[in-house]
Amino acid sequence: MDWKKLQNIDRRIIYILLILATAIPMIKPLGIPISTSAQAEKFFNIMDAIPAGEKVLFSLDYAPSGAPDVHPSAMAVMRHLMDKGVGVVFIAFWDAGPMFGEQLIKSYEEQGFEYGVHFANLGYLPGGESAIKRFGEDVVGQVSRDFRNNPVSSLPIMQGIKDTRDFAAVIDFSAGNPGIQEWVRQVQGTLDINFLAACVTVSVPQTMPFVNAGQVKALLGGMRGAAEYETVMGKPGPSVAKMDAQSLGHLLIIAFIIVGNVAFFLDKKAK
Amino acid sequence: MRREVPLIITFIVGMIILLAAIFTSSDGSPFTLKIWADELTDWVIIVSAFAVGLASVNLFRIHGDIIARQRPGWINSLTLLLAIIVFTIVGIIARVGSNEFFDTLNQNLYDSIISPLGAAMFAILAFYNASAAYRAFRMRSLEATIMLVAAILVMLGKAPIGELIWSQFPSISTWLMDVPNTVGQRAIMIGAAIGGFATSLRILLGIERGHLGGTE
Repeated sequence: MDWKKLQNIDRRIIYILLILATAIPMIKPLGIPISTSAQAEKFFNIMDAIPAGEKVLFSLDYAPSGAPDVHPSAMAVMRHLMDKGVGVVFIAFWDAGPMFGEQLIKSYEEQGFEYGVHFANLGYLPGGESAIKRFGEDVVGQVSRDFRNNPVSSLPIMQGIKDTRDFAAVIDFSAGNPGIQEWVRQVQGTLDINFLAACVTVSVPQTMPFVNAGQVKALLGGMRGAAEYETVMGKPGPSVAKMDAQSLGHLLIIAFIIVGNVAFFLDKKAK
Repeated sequence: MRREVPLIITFIVGMIILLAAIFTSSDGSPFTLKIWADELTDWVIIVSAFAVGLASVNLFRIHGDIIARQRPGWINSLTLLLAIIVFTIVGIIARVGSNEFFDTLNQNLYDSIISPLGAAMFAILAFYNASAAYRAFRMRSLEATIMLVAAILVMLGKAPIGELIWSQFPSISTWLMDVPNTVGQRAIMIGAAIGGFATSLRILLGIERGHLGGTE
């Protein structure tokens, strides 16, 4: 048998099988149960302990490319906070961020929640790490008008907010830099804010040292994190449905790795 | 003087920012150095905002030239410039004018064009990753075998189906992320921080002059 062929399967075959492995469960979910990690439970408990009327800051630091992996976490946490009556304020250090803020707000506005009272979108602040530092120390001083061109001082939700310590929690939804590391370096470390994060799956390894050091109180990693949050919340949503696709995708990749290695060894043995 | 003045400015600005981060006033109130540092940091934000405008002008110069000379791929350049113009006009009217029609159009353009395109780009990575993992993960050496086994354990631990196969996969995956990964990441971070500090010091002292441009 030609073991070389099994070591070099045409990439188009891999692509087709991966499409099938991810698309089929999206059309017909398998309903594989999802367990929840300690991180998701801790994240939920911190959010759940925030009393109604308090405010949480969302830093939306991602673009459409990373959104499929991190936006579901923002949706899940937003849903929890809206249900609890906690206000949400958005800021972004990525130019695409404010549009995701508007996406998050849209369905709640249709349900009767009021802009400026239950949530506000402060828009995009350029300057990366420097902007995060100054915003962290002086929220209203850095943003005079919100994304909808309202004076920030006129928004009821912004009353009593001077710096980021005035928020019950700050959550960075991040797909890269500037993001979690900059928040930790410039704001969490100096002002000791209640800081949590959600990031794309590939950023989880880089973020774990901050989690283990307690600088990031809890972390939701990728869509799995969002699915776990929805599960802890007891309200399974779109992320839970997509986890079946991820499961089959992972299994397929593992199967190909095993096939490649078996063929590699058998080929070596035949020589 | 063309070299000395920027070097002096770099040194003074760098020292103000550095010292403001080290020292604090006895009662926690802002002190002169901190006020100066905050002012300088605000300048960074303003300069960054200008950089966005400058980048747009640059894009128009480069792609305008490609279109004018009808160089290969000029149609892509035209698409890029048209997209910039449309999104800028719609965005400005929507934001500044508070016009509901343009506001909805702005959000719809984003949700229906940029969002799916960006998501598609990210999704394509999954296919490259699958193909690359199949070709690269071979047990050729002990190190490669350790990496391969760790990758498979993390993949199984993170996907719900892994737990269905064996309930211990998530615990093993969590341990791999919490212990060996954190140790390695910390080492890289500390190394990079020391390297960054050394480079910053060289820039402050004028030993490193790459930021001034030229070949020196």
